[in-house]
Amino acid sequence: MTGGKVKRRVSKGLLYLVFVLVIIFFLFPVLWTLSLSFKTVPELYKIPPALLPETLQMENYTYLVEQVHILRGVANSVIITAATIVGTMLIAVPASYAFSRIQFKGSRFLQFLILMFQMISPLVIVIPLYRYFADIGLLNTTIGLIVVYIAISAPFQVWFLKSFFDTIPKELDEAAYIDGCSRLQVVTKILLPTIIPGVFSGVLLVFISSWSQFIVPYILMDTPSKMPLACLLVNLQGKLNQITTHYLAAASILTILPTVVLFLCLQKYIVSALTTGAVKG
Amino acid sequence: MQKNRMTVKSQKSFSRRAGQSPVPWLAPLFLVLCVFYLIPLVDVIKTSFTDATMTNPAGNGFTMASYVKVFQDEAFGEIMFVTFFFVSFSVIFQFLLGFVIALAVDAAETRRMRGTVLTRTISLVSWAIPGVAIGIIWKIMYAETGSGILNYLLSLLGSKQIAFLSDPSVALLSTSIANVWRGTAQSMILLYAGVKTVDKQLLEAASIDGASSIKKLFHITIPGMKSVIMINVLLNIINTFNTFDMIMPLTGGGPGRSTEVLVLSVYRNIFQQLDLGKGCAVAVILLMINVAFSIGYFILNRGDEA
Repeated sequence: MTGGKVKRRVSKGLLYLVFVLVIIFFLFPVLWTLSLSFKTVPELYKIPPALLPETLQMENYTYLVEQVHILRGVANSVIITAATIVGTMLIAVPASYAFSRIQFKGSRFLQFLILMFQMISPLVIVIPLYRYFADIGLLNTTIGLIVVYIAISAPFQVWFLKSFFDTIPKELDEAAYIDGCSRLQVVTKILLPTIIPGVFSGVLLVFISSWSQFIVPYILMDTPSKMPLACLLVNLQGKLNQITTHYLAAASILTILPTVVLFLCLQKYIVSALTTGAVKG
Repeated sequence: MQKNRMTVKSQKSFSRRAGQSPVPWLAPLFLVLCVFYLIPLVDVIKTSFTDATMTNPAGNGFTMASYVKVFQDEAFGEIMFVTFFFVSFSVIFQFLLGFVIALAVDAAETRRMRGTVLTRTISLVSWAIPGVAIGIIWKIMYAETGSGILNYLLSLLGSKQIAFLSDPSVALLSTSIANVWRGTAQSMILLYAGVKTVDKQLLEAASIDGASSIKKLFHITIPGMKSVIMINVLLNIINTFNTFDMIMPLTGGGPGRSTEVLVLSVYRNIFQQLDLGKGCAVAVILLMINVAFSIGYFILNRGDEA
């Protein structure tokens, strides 16, 4: 064997070593939780712990459905997330168009303000909102949660969608104006169809962040039957005691399933969406 | 002549249209942001200068008492240290791990190795997992009873058991490691995209000149990715700094105050000790740090455009 060949083999071997370590580190905690979600109480306490459950019994999941009404949490999450997506897009699309196409004084400052809002911890704004909502009866309501979710999702989406509007050459707008289109027509007939992939990626990002949202419902929602899944999970953790790890594991799996499946199916879109703006070229 | 005037007219109407008011397009957004950001922010700042409590949210007029309480509180130094450790440990290792994975995946792609896509996908999955679920998954991993898997693996290696979450001197490290698991994906995504933008011809030319891999990394790859690296690190600092969802189910800030980061301290002051004024004062400190980071990010982004 020549020196080059040996070197190539060594570097390939090293890369595979990195791969194996990466896969173990990132996959094992999820697989272990998945395994626990199928275990019975005696299995839970078996020493040494078994890597795999003895059977794929679904009793832990049945318990969650029947005793905890976890499907209601799933439904709550679906409703809140869907409404948040629609609301966020309704306010973020027009605004991102304006920042991309209309030149006006203060545009840059407003964009900075929006960026700053995006970086502020939602906890800071939820503190006063808790009192306002208590005053006007929006505390413990789904609609109250939705409007706050929209406010939190919108800033990032404005920046995100603006970057898609920016990629469309302005000559396209100008040609349409000369052909006699109104501004609204230019937006709805020409620009929007062009940035549909961007809007789609934006929807995916809002879906995942809204599904994961915790701090807002944790503070603004006290009624378990109206809680979204992420919040219900912590509520459940507080109620159950030590011997119920298997239920908690099953509930965690249910919580992560929609976003993880979505990620695995649409990985390409999501990865390119996340790099928009941060990386040129 | 007639034709000329037409052109002028249509140009004029275009420029008028182009100068049309942005207000209708921005109004819905700013209405929402005013109600849910601006007013609450002003309220938090105002409340921080009172001695309000949750039972008396108006307080008794202007006072600096809440800030004095924050800075005289012996716990404040500890909270800042916990926050600093949590953020720096997380960000350093999220960056290093994300960079190693990005480089390895990129190198494997050029060698057309099997398993590259699988590894890339798995390294990114944690990005899609809700923070609360990550907290619970790691709480299960760190379990200190006989069924705790990490402790069992340690016992196989002949090591003694570690009280990952109940020993105050270990809990912060355990929490930070869980957060590295959570945030590496975000790093990896950006850095991987950054690696792809590095000039491959330049790397090849360097190889022909006999440059070592290490030399190429430090003289071509890293300088070529400078702006991505900075943006990535800044985003990770902000994300880690605002982390609440993962810590709450994992440790709740405990044992004692050993994992109480700044965001958790705001929550505990207001919703557990019901001290609204003091909680708001801590929130204002949090806010000022957030604003400082946004300014940094804005400047970095603008530099990128120029």
